Amino acid sequence: MTTATSVHEPAASLTGARRVRPRRGRGFRPAPRRTPYTFVAPAVLLFVAVFLVPLGYTVYLSTQKTQVSGLGLGAGARKQVAAGFSNYGTVFGDGEFWQSVLRAVIYGCILIPIMLGLATLFALVLDAQRVRFQRFGRLAIFLPYAVPTLIGSMIWGMMYLPAFSPINSTLHALFGIQGINFFGQRIVFLSVANIGVWGGTGFNMMVLYTSLRSLPQEAYEAARLDGANERQIALRIKLPMIRPAVIMTAIFSTIATLQVFNEPYAIHQISYGGVSTTWTPLMTVYRDTYTANNIYLGAAESIVIAVMMFVLSAAVLRITNRQIFGGEAK
Amino acid sequence: MSILTTASQGMAPRRKRRTSIVPTGVLVLGIVYALLPIIWVLIASTKTTTQLDSYAAFRPGNSLWANFQTLNAYQGGVFWTWMLNTALYAGGGAILSAVVSALAGYGFSKYRFRAKGFLFTMILVGMLVPAVVLAIPQYLLVAKIGLADTYWAVLIPSIISPYGIYLARLYAGASVPDEILEAARMDGSSEWRTFLRIGIPMMSPGLVTIFLFQFVAIWNNFLLPWLMLSSENKYPLTVGLFTLLDAGTSQPALYSLVLIGAVLSILPLILLFFLLQRFWRVDLGAGSVK
Amino acid sequence: MKFPRSAKAAACALAATALVAGCSSSGSPASSASSNQKVTLTFWSWVPNMQKIVNVWNASHPDIQIKFTEAAGGDAELAKLLTAGKAKDMPDIAQIEYQSLPTMVSNNYLADISSSDNSLKSDYPAGLWSQVSLGTSALYGVPQDAAPLAFFYRKDIFKKYNLAVPTTWAQYATEAAQLHKDDPSIYMGDTAATDAGLFAGLTQQAGAQWWSASGSTWSVGIDSAASQKVASYWGGLVQSGAVDSQTAWTASWDKSFSDGEYASWVSAVWAPGDLSSSAANTSGDWAMAELPQWTAGQHVSGAWGGSATSVTADSKYPQQAAQFIAWLNQSTQGTSLLASDGSIYPASLAAESSSSLPAQTFMGQSDFYALAKQYSSQVVAATWGPDVPVAYSKFSDAFASTVKTSYGYLAGLTAMQSAVVTDMKSAGFTVSGS
Repeated sequence: MTTATSVHEPAASLTGARRVRPRRGRGFRPAPRRTPYTFVAPAVLLFVAVFLVPLGYTVYLSTQKTQVSGLGLGAGARKQVAAGFSNYGTVFGDGEFWQSVLRAVIYGCILIPIMLGLATLFALVLDAQRVRFQRFGRLAIFLPYAVPTLIGSMIWGMMYLPAFSPINSTLHALFGIQGINFFGQRIVFLSVANIGVWGGTGFNMMVLYTSLRSLPQEAYEAARLDGANERQIALRIKLPMIRPAVIMTAIFSTIATLQVFNEPYAIHQISYGGVSTTWTPLMTVYRDTYTANNIYLGAAESIVIAVMMFVLSAAVLRITNRQIFGGEAK
Repeated sequence: MSILTTASQGMAPRRKRRTSIVPTGVLVLGIVYALLPIIWVLIASTKTTTQLDSYAAFRPGNSLWANFQTLNAYQGGVFWTWMLNTALYAGGGAILSAVVSALAGYGFSKYRFRAKGFLFTMILVGMLVPAVVLAIPQYLLVAKIGLADTYWAVLIPSIISPYGIYLARLYAGASVPDEILEAARMDGSSEWRTFLRIGIPMMSPGLVTIFLFQFVAIWNNFLLPWLMLSSENKYPLTVGLFTLLDAGTSQPALYSLVLIGAVLSILPLILLFFLLQRFWRVDLGAGSVK
Repeated sequence: MKFPRSAKAAACALAATALVAGCSSSGSPASSASSNQKVTLTFWSWVPNMQKIVNVWNASHPDIQIKFTEAAGGDAELAKLLTAGKAKDMPDIAQIEYQSLPTMVSNNYLADISSSDNSLKSDYPAGLWSQVSLGTSALYGVPQDAAPLAFFYRKDIFKKYNLAVPTTWAQYATEAAQLHKDDPSIYMGDTAATDAGLFAGLTQQAGAQWWSASGSTWSVGIDSAASQKVASYWGGLVQSGAVDSQTAWTASWDKSFSDGEYASWVSAVWAPGDLSSSAANTSGDWAMAELPQWTAGQHVSGAWGGSATSVTADSKYPQQAAQFIAWLNQSTQGTSLLASDGSIYPASLAAESSSSLPAQTFMGQSDFYALAKQYSSQVVAATWGPDVPVAYSKFSDAFASTVKTSYGYLAGLTAMQSAVVTDMKSAGFTVSGS
């Protein structure tokens, strides 16, 4: 196949003036050493500027605090001074913060299975045969993802309000029941999760559906000729074949879900206390950074959250990385 | 080419098939669930504030045109400025993001180099850091270099998308076979030309997906532009509608403006979706996602 | 493992961080330009129709142009201001609620404009003036509106059920119980514990001082006897079902007004502006009376909100900015525009007596302004602490979930007290007592 001879381009070649570097080695080894760095450079540089530098700044901020002299009013009364790790001490001792972490975990445990289950279900249904309304269904199920979270939460918030709720009025009309208190201490998890499911299923469905569409059709034809019905094909053939995509989607959804902020924040004021201002870890960060104006404590909390998530995800990503990218040049 | 043709590649003859009830029923339920709140917003946007209070939830009002005109007149038509801004941020940001992701994804997928694992993991770790956490430091740094309240302050952070890079790597691996690259190299094509002439076209359905997702993400982004911008005429729709909504707690008459504004802000996305549908072709090349 | 490129990148990141962090922020020079140099000042406010008012100024002042941006509203704008302040990116002029002024001043974000106009002080009631001067000789803003608490009631409902206008809280309680018994579908009103600002104003009326300062020590009195009195009063009303307990400022709360479910509203003098939007169909049915008192014969009130307009520390032209503010909040032209276009009840004493205040079409009460002026003069002077946002945030957490119950109000006060004290101490303030 390939020989280990070096190839030099003729000067005025069809492919332009770049000289191909001599290839070393055997097999399908890709050639130049610098090129991959050129390809990934824009992303890496932007990443450093947009993520790493601010992250470093956050770490720095987490080691500072405010010092107040006198009443604290007037010029020079406030100073930023070094605080060592005292902010972290505060974070670890803050019961409210850890409660919010627990709530985020509970929220995730509710949201992820439901959302992924629905996304997989709809993706399979959209890919199946003899199902009607598929084209319309694809657009319809994706559409909530296109609604800004703020607006979506506002809409659902209004639908949860007792006096307004069309859900409750329908239930009342049909079954004569009082109506659900969507903001009750326990139910509120489902209520907020519902907003997340509604807004996020479409996205995950599209990712899985795209994976399904890329599967070779030959595998099903054999099964169909053997007499397998659609459900069996879906569960026994398609689902295992898109397993890497499902895992990937699950991981990314988990990461996004533990960072939940938009939905509970958007409805917390109208939620009769069902959603407090520190309901999730990021809401606590927001409260401490913006409302309490303590960016140093907020920075420490952010770092703690980020580290927790890193520990949680790094191991899983390593394992699944091999499964997903196994076919590449290693 | 219709995206719906599934059986056409097989050997079985096409014959009329009956609808499968259970999956269709599931799909219909899903459609109802997805569309119900949107229909509610559509209907709500036709009502005046009084009608919002007094009419039943799904009973339409008669003020669609009046609400539209009020929105149009609000602050001298600033709503349309918001929409243009959003198109700029989302369109420009998504295109640049797709380019950067394509480059990086192709690079990670098709080459072997020493820092590959480290760099890729580093970028993925970036996804673990939530926007809320980064927003203030980003703002402080941007202000220090004097770029606060500019279009760039919103555009540049929107370009980098770890998820997009991840997807791009996936699609590059799935749709660009190594054999073709080797053949191109043997023909003497430079890496860059190979990428442009071969890599990009083969990755294009995946790139459209990345573009679309990043477009929607930027379209819906709130926190970053809200912090970075202080001039109303640079606001995107999310920030503008939030300002309206917040003002609406003390001037409830503005609620109807928010509702119709929300409806109008969804429409371009639907349009985009329709336009880009035809790029979602079935074949992603010979390889499959294992 | 050696990763030269990435190590370099990391080193660059660290260096950049160190550089940025090490940059000490020097104070911005507040150089005022000569008076005939054209300047453009940025201005944030959430007063309705402020752009129209600004246009009037811009037309007649070509050398001082105002660029207006509509701000989101109290809390959101404060959060943005505080963030912008860290970046030295604040607008020249901003609308700031009275209770947020100490927060801004303690961060050194407001300019002292006491040198620019000495005639202002006499035009404002002492209580309001102390809010913008914080008890010092400096001036951190010019009061824009006054928001004294008053009692708004539905004349038609009161007539139908033979209710007299309550002059004491005891009478309010009796009548509320009576009304709800006569007609279980309506209430005297909503509980006052659903809005932090309202609750704070009512405790002020009762004599509580949530914050006070002496020397360089702060005291926090959120949990004081007067506050507890107010808390158990409203808690008792909710417990007995005499008043409703619904979250305020929601669409369904608006609906309760337009449906006639609430016969009265303990609110501030800006209430007609709000009701005309949320319950337009009740136009003409409302009347305003004095806030019920704790002791018969007393005439004190509290305030609910209200804001001043301030010059920020980032402004390069504080003189010109102060000029605009004085025009806006104190001149006849400015205040009448605020009243007519912005639906503001102006704080300036002269404006309060002015005959050019717009007719109250929603209320149809001829002595509205006379009464409002009277209530404004009855407001107890309040001192706000440097962390009011924390207190209010804790209020909404502690009281919101108890809105549907009643026993939680006192516990909520205690929670607020400890949260505020903890926050102030951790921010480095000296707080006396508990």
